[in-house]
Amino acid sequence: MSSRLFSYATLSVVLLFLLGPFVIIVAAALSAGETLAFPPQGLSLKWVIKVFEVESFRASFALSMFLAIFGTLAALVLGVPVAYAASRYKLPFGETIRTIVSAPIIVPGIIVGLALLRYLVLPLDVSVGLALFIAHTALILPYAVRVVSASLDNLRSDIEEAAVLLGSSRIATFFRIVLPNIQNGILAAFILGFVTSFNQVPVSLFLSGPGVRTLPIDMIWYMEITYDPSVAALAALLAFLSISIVFLAERFLGFSRYV
Amino acid sequence: MFQNRMEALALALPAALFAAFVFLVPVFILLSEGFRAEGAWTLAPYVDFFDSELNRTVFWRTLKLGAIVTAVSAVIGYATAWSIVTLPPTARGRMIGLVVMPLMISPVARTYAWIVILGRTGFVNQTLVGLGIADSPIRFLFTETAVFIGLLQLFLPLMILSLISALENMPKDAVPAARVLGANWLQVFFKVILPLTKEGLVIGGTLVFTGSLTAYITPAILGGSKVLMLETLLYQRVTVANDFASASIIAMILMVMSFSANLLLKRLATARNKR
Repeated sequence: MSSRLFSYATLSVVLLFLLGPFVIIVAAALSAGETLAFPPQGLSLKWVIKVFEVESFRASFALSMFLAIFGTLAALVLGVPVAYAASRYKLPFGETIRTIVSAPIIVPGIIVGLALLRYLVLPLDVSVGLALFIAHTALILPYAVRVVSASLDNLRSDIEEAAVLLGSSRIATFFRIVLPNIQNGILAAFILGFVTSFNQVPVSLFLSGPGVRTLPIDMIWYMEITYDPSVAALAALLAFLSISIVFLAERFLGFSRYV
Repeated sequence: MFQNRMEALALALPAALFAAFVFLVPVFILLSEGFRAEGAWTLAPYVDFFDSELNRTVFWRTLKLGAIVTAVSAVIGYATAWSIVTLPPTARGRMIGLVVMPLMISPVARTYAWIVILGRTGFVNQTLVGLGIADSPIRFLFTETAVFIGLLQLFLPLMILSLISALENMPKDAVPAARVLGANWLQVFFKVILPLTKEGLVIGGTLVFTGSLTAYITPAILGGSKVLMLETLLYQRVTVANDFASASIIAMILMVMSFSANLLLKRLATARNKR
């Protein structure tokens, strides 16, 4: 039937368009040639090895990891109580508070970066590193609140009320009953926050200083000065990293239920 | 449901204060800068901004590319989403996985791939020259077409995903019923599918449109300084010209666009919940 044919043709073309470039990056990364080319001139792992030898990549990878891990943790420490207050209490100014904590998702990243540079880093003499940390935390906060709220909404609140009626303190109830029940949601929020922060560019654009540069920004700098395939190798490695994290998360947590 | 309001506020306040002081306040000051000249409140900087032909060109180019990317992704999105929705469940799940996958990959990596494909010594040019179709490499990079291709690849998955959920929520027999009653596929699309999936289209369209307007990496890498968009212009104004007034005006334009799109989304979401 012709509509079957139409479906398969559409899907092949679209998947080729969406995923083909990624295949080409991997091929270019495995090239033995000196410049970026596809098809690759011979096979070699030398550009993949080179990635690990470039000093600035190591430093910016470490910074990006630090921001992704601790920025997400900070966002969770701030975000989980908000989500809890909004779902289990009559929160005064609830709508306003929700709007404020989810605002960072609406504001284009480049504006956040510029605003923090102009009004935090320059006048208050705050270090670029701290400003980056603040920016990444603010950026992840909306995701943390949203994902944790979703898993709190799925958890029946009467068991908490029962615990409180039986004399358990609110804090003990939270740590002994609520937290163990929403741990998958928190993990999902962590993963989403990690990937978002790690791949983030516009926020970090203005917030760079001597020796302080996130990995994606470093990649953009590097590709402006050379045309060798090491950026392709790095891009391929990062893509594998992101995909495997999300794949494992989906496998063990049913990640897509939360996002 | 607990009743203690102070306890609730105490839980919510740290995050709200954090977001307000380190985030909203700096952004508000930055945006207000565009309304100030020599210490007074004025609209003059805006008039000056739009007086420049370069700025106008960049403004319209950003809107135009955003609109084209949205329109094209809607057309491709419907065809793809329909093809996926009609698959058996297991295959459907796998296809959705493949469509989502690019969203997990760093935009830098995804955009960089197009350099390998469209560059002077890239895949396309080697093929064209190798087959004798072109005498010398054609310039694809640093054109609007390159930016368009990059943005489309970046945001198409969002459109496909929201159309998939819209199509899945459509009554199952609507299309077969229309077909049985003699409608051709064009009529089925415009009279049945489109009205029933309008919300999904608007949600996907908003995501793609605001995404395209506020993307930085793709225009920076594939457009360079030849094809400036609002975001790359903002960056250039600050780093090259140290011109913070223009930067704040561009920031305001981007904010207004992004904000109105999100407002529209929210409206739609609440309208749907009421039903």
